[in-house]
Amino acid sequence: MRNASWEIRSFLLASGVIVAGFLLVLLYLAQATAVSAAGYEAQRLVAQRDELRRQNALLVIESARLDSPARVETEAQRLGLVRAATIRVVAPEAVAAAR
Amino acid sequence: MTATISHARLRVLFAFFTIASVLLSARLAYWQTVGRGELLSRATDQVRSDLAVAARRGVIRDRTGAILATTVDLRSLYAIPSQMKDAEGNDNRPAVAAALAPILGEKVDVLRAAFDSGAEWLFVRRRLPEETAARIAALGLHGLGFEMEPKRLYPNGAVGAQILGFVNDDGLGQYGVEGRYDDVLAGTPGRLAVARDPANRELALGLRTAVPAKNGEDLWLTVDLAVQNAAEREIAAVVEREKATGGAIVVLDPHDGAVLAMASSPTYDPARVANANAEALRNRAISWTYEPGSTLKAVTIAAGLDKGVVTPSTSYQDVGYAVIGGRTLCNAQCKVYGPTTVTQVLARSQNAGAVFVASKLGASDLNAYLHAFGFGVRTGVDLAAETGGIVRPLAEWYPVDLGTVSFGQGLSVTPLQLASAYSAIANGGTLYRPYVVANRRDADGEHRTAPVAVRRVISEETAATMVSMLTTTVDNGIANAAAIRGYSVAGKTGTAQIPSDDGRYVDDAYISSFAGFVPAVDPRFVVVVVLEKPQSKLLGTVPAMNTFKAIATDALRYARVQPDRP
Repeated sequence: MRNASWEIRSFLLASGVIVAGFLLVLLYLAQATAVSAAGYEAQRLVAQRDELRRQNALLVIESARLDSPARVETEAQRLGLVRAATIRVVAPEAVAAAR
Repeated sequence: MTATISHARLRVLFAFFTIASVLLSARLAYWQTVGRGELLSRATDQVRSDLAVAARRGVIRDRTGAILATTVDLRSLYAIPSQMKDAEGNDNRPAVAAALAPILGEKVDVLRAAFDSGAEWLFVRRRLPEETAARIAALGLHGLGFEMEPKRLYPNGAVGAQILGFVNDDGLGQYGVEGRYDDVLAGTPGRLAVARDPANRELALGLRTAVPAKNGEDLWLTVDLAVQNAAEREIAAVVEREKATGGAIVVLDPHDGAVLAMASSPTYDPARVANANAEALRNRAISWTYEPGSTLKAVTIAAGLDKGVVTPSTSYQDVGYAVIGGRTLCNAQCKVYGPTTVTQVLARSQNAGAVFVASKLGASDLNAYLHAFGFGVRTGVDLAAETGGIVRPLAEWYPVDLGTVSFGQGLSVTPLQLASAYSAIANGGTLYRPYVVANRRDADGEHRTAPVAVRRVISEETAATMVSMLTTTVDNGIANAAAIRGYSVAGKTGTAQIPSDDGRYVDDAYISSFAGFVPAVDPRFVVVVVLEKPQSKLLGTVPAMNTFKAIATDALRYARVQPDRP
């Protein structure tokens, strides 16, 4: 009887250890899967960020191209604008005297 | 029937499993300890990806912050011909070629030939414009893909090309700022070793060793895009009008030697360097030398005044020529002026008068002043491919050289050297090293370039006298076409012959130039204009002066400089 009880206890103990180990492995796998999934999501977000930065850089360049004095001059000429022949500069004393 | 197992058998079985477990554990322990490295190495070799991480090339901006050059990743189109299949799995290469041809502006046959070349993988077109890449991506064709590649972009087109230089296909800076500051702009690439899955995605739990890339520094130039644009516009216009073979313009801030603009003709578009010829790549403001002609008289006279051998009112009897070293050197058209002061020598640009001053000065002192003004050596401007010009050593001078050099023949200078020398006169007598990069910015902050005063060349008194004399030259003298209403202008014209390969001068071809500054008192801009072989020939200084006037007028308005004259 004593032997049978020792065997049952051993069996139960071994089973318990195995089940506990299995649960631990499951826990580890679940954690690893979650981390991997988060890693893929982080990569997707990084790629999205990089693409948005690239698009922004392209827009900045386009803005610089539109601001280029050479382009503005060409566009002004196309619109028939002409360069001012003279620019009148008014001295502050003259303005003060006129008041 | 009840099956029974004897205890002895059970013990044997238990022992067997125990031994097996021990052996397995031992083996496991071995792979986890002694053999770990080998196992890990084998495993990581299958998934490890070791890549160089490119550093971002620095942005180049003008002094106001406007972007002159920057780098962006563009999509390069590649093809894997074996994967060009339609929905039924049939070869689709002809259809792919036909679909791509109109978008890429390429012939169908050329694309077909590329796809049928037997290559497993090939670039169809690199660094596509974004719209083109988007149109191709929208087609959703199998066997095509995109890879990002950095592309240097210049939003102002050809404006400033000679200062900026360009980046070649290998990513190396060439010429100009790109060439001179290539190591600073390029940065240092990093490394990234990661484990990847079969879909080429990084594994979050895998190996990850990263050495971050150090991005290139951003450069802020002294160049002002508005002034640069005016210089480029005017040089292009005058070279075309005058059918000149080339020309150069330099605009300096005389207070510290900052280069505000530098234009050279012919020029090129940095986005299409492959189409540019070697002559267009040469920045004539720094890489081309010429005999300065009469613009150098200002230096000769400044030397004479500074040495105290003449004063503005010192006079001599002009007979139309001077004899020196057994040679006769004439005024332009051998014109005779009679009694002439040194001020008038400059105002009328008399060669004989320059010889008179030089004779008083002596060859040794003239040579010393030429070197003091920075001729004969590179200015040290921070641009690639600068040349130093030629001022022969005194020991090699013939007696006549004292005369010819006094009015700008027998030596060669760059437009930048001349602008630098005139800056010294304009700022009260100090020669500054011209510079183009105002500051560098990186993760550590801003590193400003301190202007470098090379040396005092002439006294403040001499400089003030020269300003007055050069102002007279514009107001009442030969350079009157350079006068600007409302502003005092100081300057001097120059017409020089062109030496030929046989040591003589080319017939009937000249280099016309004008060097001046505005306003004459407290000057803001020193402008040098040089035209090579203008069709106006001896009258070529007039278009040079008109060009000076146009640029100076634009620059004064842009900088909101108040008029100093009614």
